[in-house]
Amino acid sequence: MFSFLNLRVGWYLARRQIHRASRWTTVLIVFVMMLTFLNLVVVTGILVGIVEGITDLFRAQRTGDVVIRNLDAKNYIENSPQVLSFLKTLPQVANMSPRYQSSGTIEANYKTQTDQTAKPNETGATIIGVDPTVENSFSHLSGLIKEGTYLSPTGYDEVLLGQQFIDRYSFGEMPGLTALRNVYPGTTIRLTVNGHVREVVVKGIIGTTANSPLAASVYMSGAELAQLMGRTDYNLNEIAIRLKPGIDPKAFTALLKNSGISDVAKVQTFEEAIPNGVAEVKNTFEMLGNAFSSVGLVASSITIFIVIFINAITRRKFIGILKGIGISGEAIEIAYMFQSFIYAVVGSLIGLVLLYGFLVPYISAHPIVLPISNAIIDAPLQGTLVRVVILVVATVIAGYIPARMIVNKNTLDSILGRE
Amino acid sequence: MAHTHGETIIEVKNLIKNFKTGDVITRVLKGISFTVRRGEWIAIIGRSGAGKSTLMYQMSLLDDPTDGEIFILGREAHSLSEKDKMALRLVEFGFVFQDYALMPELTATENIVLPLIMEKVPLALAEAKAIDALKKVGLEDRLRSLPAQLSGGEQQRVSIARAIAERPQILFADEPTANLDRESSNKVMEIFRDLHEEGRQTIIMVTHEEEYTKVADRVITIDDGKIVAVREHSAAMS
Repeated sequence: MFSFLNLRVGWYLARRQIHRASRWTTVLIVFVMMLTFLNLVVVTGILVGIVEGITDLFRAQRTGDVVIRNLDAKNYIENSPQVLSFLKTLPQVANMSPRYQSSGTIEANYKTQTDQTAKPNETGATIIGVDPTVENSFSHLSGLIKEGTYLSPTGYDEVLLGQQFIDRYSFGEMPGLTALRNVYPGTTIRLTVNGHVREVVVKGIIGTTANSPLAASVYMSGAELAQLMGRTDYNLNEIAIRLKPGIDPKAFTALLKNSGISDVAKVQTFEEAIPNGVAEVKNTFEMLGNAFSSVGLVASSITIFIVIFINAITRRKFIGILKGIGISGEAIEIAYMFQSFIYAVVGSLIGLVLLYGFLVPYISAHPIVLPISNAIIDAPLQGTLVRVVILVVATVIAGYIPARMIVNKNTLDSILGRE
Repeated sequence: MAHTHGETIIEVKNLIKNFKTGDVITRVLKGISFTVRRGEWIAIIGRSGAGKSTLMYQMSLLDDPTDGEIFILGREAHSLSEKDKMALRLVEFGFVFQDYALMPELTATENIVLPLIMEKVPLALAEAKAIDALKKVGLEDRLRSLPAQLSGGEQQRVSIARAIAERPQILFADEPTANLDRESSNKVMEIFRDLHEEGRQTIIMVTHEEEYTKVADRVITIDDGKIVAVREHSAAMS
């Protein structure tokens, strides 16, 4: 079928058929192809991008590129000062944020509660102790303050609350968490850590999306939290590391593990450190995206089928005549396959330009704000090119089938318009 | 002008063609036999539905007879594969159809070039041959015109140019003047006459216009699927 001669004749015919076809029809078909391409890539890309958005949030606000945490069997990272000193010598490291971390409770409205039998307005929380200046340079936390102000560099007895703790900003019920009522910047709340109770002032409220690691966190001075925890040896719970551009987190993690840090701590890339289930959600969204895209692919294939079928059926007489004067049926079929191929390739190329020239950079700069996360388009080039190939192949097949149906009809019946 | 005709290039023996519609069998050709010699111009005439076009379709291998034999250039048509028939139609036959049968997206030149490419003629040579053929039919000024930009007569002349561009052995013409006005019809018949007289082109022409049979060497009249008369123009015979 695909002899050089058939390809040559098919191309000669297809080129002229496209060139002299109705401009509006051609534009419409290419537009459908472009939309199909975008549907194939963008739907999956956004669904995966939602999860990528969550991952990016964790990376930006909590883990950095690589995070070192205490071993499961230990309450802290042993020899933390030495580990920190070692990390500071590494040229790959751009920034670090050493943190203490403890579970605790926070309670509000305890001074105004008169009914002693009523349930206290308190909740469990993850308390994170940081150096306010260092943390801010690491995660730009001050930029996320929704109400109030950021922690002062030397401030004591002051905390930042994630918005999940504030009843008016809460994203809804979360297991083990109760939103606090009547809490504003300046409100005094009671903080309990390791049995130690301290009254602290709410300095600010952190505005986030529901899946942000900050949404249900309490931030305070690291020195103060260490004191509450009874930690006097400077051993930390977490060191988040931001790497210099171009440094591979996996390679850096391997380097740290080889250095022996993994004997005293867990060393993880940001992907390894995100909470369980996120990777599964990502795979699920990817499968869902592919399923939705497949529907789009079938719809566009049917469109091409109909377009080529109508084109071929209205030219049935001419196809019969071409066969009559000796043009091979295969060459005529190839002409229609070339047309479908060109529609799909041009549509995909326009889609590629639109995707990588506008959509991806624009949405990366201005993520789609969704309750679950700030979604971006996750469209790696390799996966996109695979989708282009799938689209082109499906379109060429969709063009070939109707052409073959018409070409296979009896030559004389086609010439005479007989059924 | 006296013509000398060569060997037999088509031989039709007891040709029968039936059409079946449901249980009804219509006998269109009822045992037709005749021969065509090289360089001869045969006109097949008859009233509408007599079977003249059906006969031409069998001879030009566009359709298969129900019974009988057709020998074309020494080969029995029944023994030919579809591929062989296609090759014969491409290389040895030229076709002129009643309604011109030009591809609407191709210019006059391109309509002629397309079958030449299928014959493996290099593109530049094919274009030269197409232009030459269009000159022969007086359309050298319409090389780049699309069929829709041409009159019916001009389209038919392009169709003739396509048929003769590669000098086929046999030119089949099915009612070539049926859709044309008098002036255009005369022009088309003039071209046929030139091809026949100067190029010794074998022509088999189906027509219902008696007037245009006068230039043929032989006129075969068909009625009810049978040859009812054969008239040879002696002045044209050697």
